[in-house]
Formats: sequence, structure tokens, C-alpha cells
Amino acid sequence: MTVSAHVAPLLSARGLSKQYAGRGGCVEIDLDVYPGEVLCIVGESGSGKSTLLNALALRTPSNRGTLTYRTRDAGTLDLIGLAEPQRRMLSRTEWGFVHQNARDGLRHGVSAGANIGEPLMAIGARHYGRLRETAADWMARVELDAARIDELPSAFSGGMQQRLQIARNLVTGPRLVFMDEPTAGLDVSVQARLLDLLRTLTSKLHLAALIVTHDIGVARLLAHRLMVMKDGRVVESGLTDQVLDDPQHPYTQTLVASVLPV
Amino acid sequence: MNANADLSNELAFARRDALMLRARGIAKTFTLHQQGGARIAALHGVSLDVERGECVVLSGASGAGKSTFLRCIYGNYLATGGTIAIRDDSRESRHVSLTHASPHDVIRLRRTTMGYVSQFLRAIPRVSSLDLVSEPLVSRGVGEEDARARASALLERLHVPRRLWALAPATFSGGEQQRVNIARGLIAGQPLLLLDEPTASLDAENRDVVADLIVEAREAGAAIVGIFHDEDTRERVATRVVGLDELTKQSPSNTGILQTC
Repeated sequence: MTVSAHVAPLLSARGLSKQYAGRGGCVEIDLDVYPGEVLCIVGESGSGKSTLLNALALRTPSNRGTLTYRTRDAGTLDLIGLAEPQRRMLSRTEWGFVHQNARDGLRHGVSAGANIGEPLMAIGARHYGRLRETAADWMARVELDAARIDELPSAFSGGMQQRLQIARNLVTGPRLVFMDEPTAGLDVSVQARLLDLLRTLTSKLHLAALIVTHDIGVARLLAHRLMVMKDGRVVESGLTDQVLDDPQHPYTQTLVASVLPV
Repeated sequence: MNANADLSNELAFARRDALMLRARGIAKTFTLHQQGGARIAALHGVSLDVERGECVVLSGASGAGKSTFLRCIYGNYLATGGTIAIRDDSRESRHVSLTHASPHDVIRLRRTTMGYVSQFLRAIPRVSSLDLVSEPLVSRGVGEEDARARASALLERLHVPRRLWALAPATFSGGEQQRVNIARGLIAGQPLLLLDEPTASLDAENRDVVADLIVEAREAGAAIVGIFHDEDTRERVATRVVGLDELTKQSPSNTGILQTC
């Protein structure tokens, strides 16, 4: 294998495992995410892909393995056993996490504008006028009507709430965003709009994204690389179009063959 | 065998300035796990050198493996055996071995060096034709305005009606989609082009335009491997027409160390 390390990875996992009472979860995962790259983890429910995402994003502790992250200016951090204040700092300044359900990623008691402004306040922004201006700007960038800045999230449709959640996550200028099934549960037309938005934003902002999805179409559209998971393990990985057009593993072949033609 | 191939490639790319692509003994077998592990052998050791300014047209009956071979070169299919090397002067060895490259290397090669135009456009929902065509330039650092101007000129030349430029091509006719696809594939002027029947559903007038574009790319120094079923187009663009069977060695065991000079 030719070594291609022109750039060092942002996030690196080796032999990472997270199991529940010795069962389920994900086992012995090796993974690298490079700057500006979209990596999709595909697999059916129960394959361990969401567990893996949560373990990588430090939302659940791992049982075994190593995990490191290369920060903007504090060098490379060993994420296993990272102290809580550091973890919180990391998720405020370097990371984003987009939940499948917008209601898990938004604060429902405050306005759309406050949802976007809040992460900035958490890292020290105080100037009200500028916060509001930034919030309005981000609403426009995710194709929401900035005139609705004072409305509560519940006044927005599901697809709009998802875009609001994305704005809330990107406003701090993260380098890596974790996404758990960001388009699941949305109407197909709403999905297409969200996918287009994600595609544009990740490429324009040179954002690295780790996206968990069961939808092959989403992976084909967004991902540079794919990892296919089954029963907690990675069974195949590689260039997106290669894995989908010339799948090697029996499970990947079944997965690809099961996609309904459009 | 690998060290041998690397060394012979290094020599070839150093000695022959014009060499862009060297495929040696490419074999491809598909294993269909869903169908009891049936194995379909598509390629049996195909070897080909392509130089700058050359347009090699692959001939052979449908099902002979021509598209499979192109897809192996593009890294879309994984070759089961053999080596594919592509010129990369930024490296000391003057080439990248595609058959051992990481996904990142393949992505980089596709951005800097090789383009692929298939018969079908893989449309991206909601992205306008103009953006689709200018995107390869923008991703290479060309300013958006400049990129759009060049994309417009190319779409104009391919007779894609101006009223369609702002629309996503999902609803276009087959021929219109194909022309958007060709524009997207040719706009960046990559030095290695892989063309899989890019004129299949075009009328005579547009086939001529595409043939002109391909000849221009070739004369500008691109190395081209293509599949064209249309006799006229083939005649116009090809510097060489070769059957896949002529490129296939009877005994693939000795192709790895084959040397030309």
C-alpha cells in the first residue's frame, strides 16, 4: 500500500471497541478522517454504526483502543481519558454534532436566532448586535427566511428544523462534524434540498464530516469514502464509487443490490 | 512481481516523456456472492501503453470488457490482477501505481490528471447544468466567474439551449444530459481522458461537435482511451484502433516484466 500522507488525519481510531455487556456495539475499528473529507459509514440498523459515531465523538466511553484528534493549535490530543472540560471545549470549538432528530439538537424554549447565537456565546461572544447579525446570516446560508429569526423552532417544519440544527452546528466554524442519519425521516424532496446544502457547505467550508447513514443514495452523493459495517465490524471500505459499483464483500453486494432503481 | 513492475514502470516513465498510462496484465473477475459465488471473468491480462497526443479506440464486441477496462483505469473497478501506472511528475518515480493507491491518491489523480465520461450523467439533485459544468474548474481553483464563462462557452458550443443552463439536468432529454456530461468531463482539460461511448445518444450534428472537442483535446496533448461505436466518430478521433483481444496476452504470467523502448 502506497503511503499517501500528504496531510495528517484529523481524527484517528485504532482498534476502537465499544460494546454493551460484551455484546453489540462496534468492534476493533480502525479509521482516519482527513481534513475536508466526507466519510460515510453505512450499514443497517444494529450494525453498530451509531455506536461507533458516538464513541468517536466522545458521547459514549470506549472499552478498548486508541483515539486521537489533531487540533487547530493545541497539537494532537489523546481522546481516551480526556478530561471533561477539554472534551467540552473540543465539542464547542472544533466539532459539531448533528442529530437525526432536530429536537435532540435544538433548544426548544428559545428562538431560532438564539439557537444559532448560543454556541457562539459559549465560546465568549457577547456583542448582541453582531450575534444577531451572524444568526441572520446563517439562517440565509441554510436557506431559512431570516425574517423568522425570533420564532421558536417548533414553528418550523421538520426539514427547516434540521437546517436550523446544521446552522447551530456550523456557526462556530468547526473542522469536523459528526452527523447521525441527518436526512432520515424527511420527505424525499426535503432530503434532496438538505443533501445539496450539506454537499455545498462541506466543500465550501473545507469541512470534514463523518456521516452515519443507512441510505446508499445519501452516501453516493455526499461521501468521498465509504465504510460498510455489519455486526459491529467494518467489512469493506474504500472510494465511494468503487465500493458501490464494484462491491467485494458479500454483505456490500447485498446492500447495493437492494437499492431500488430510481 | 510487484517490485519488478514498479521498477519497469519507473524506467518507462523516465525514458518516455510522452507516456501517460501503462496498463500491464489487467485481469478482472467479478465474484457474485448473491448468486452462489459465481465468478465472471471479464478481463484476462490486458496490456496497453498510451502516450500524450494519442487517442486509442478500443474495439471488440459488446461484452468484451471494454468498459470494464476503462473503469479499472479510473479506479472505479478494482482490478483483480496486473498493474496500472499513471504519470505523475510530482513524484520521484514519475508515476502513481493506481492498482496500489489509497482512495485519497485516486481522488487526487482524478482531480489533477484523469477524467472519465460515461454514457450516463449521474445527476446531482438541484444542481444547475452551468454549475455542474463549471464545478471541475472551481474545484481546481479557477474563480467562479471565470469558470462560469468557460462553462457557458462550452455549453453553447454543444448546443445546449441557454434556457436549460439554470436547471438541473434530471429532466433533460438523453442527448441533452449526455452533452452536459461531456462538457463536465472535458472542461478541465485533464491530460488523461477515458471516454465510454460519449456520443452514444447524440444526433449527427452534435456528434461532430463532440468529435471536434476530442480531437482538440488530443492535439493539445491529452492521452485518450475511448470506446466509440459510431464509425465516423471513431475514424475522426482515433490515432489507433485496437481490439481488446489483441491487447490480451495468452499467458499473463510474463506481462509484468514486459519492457518496451
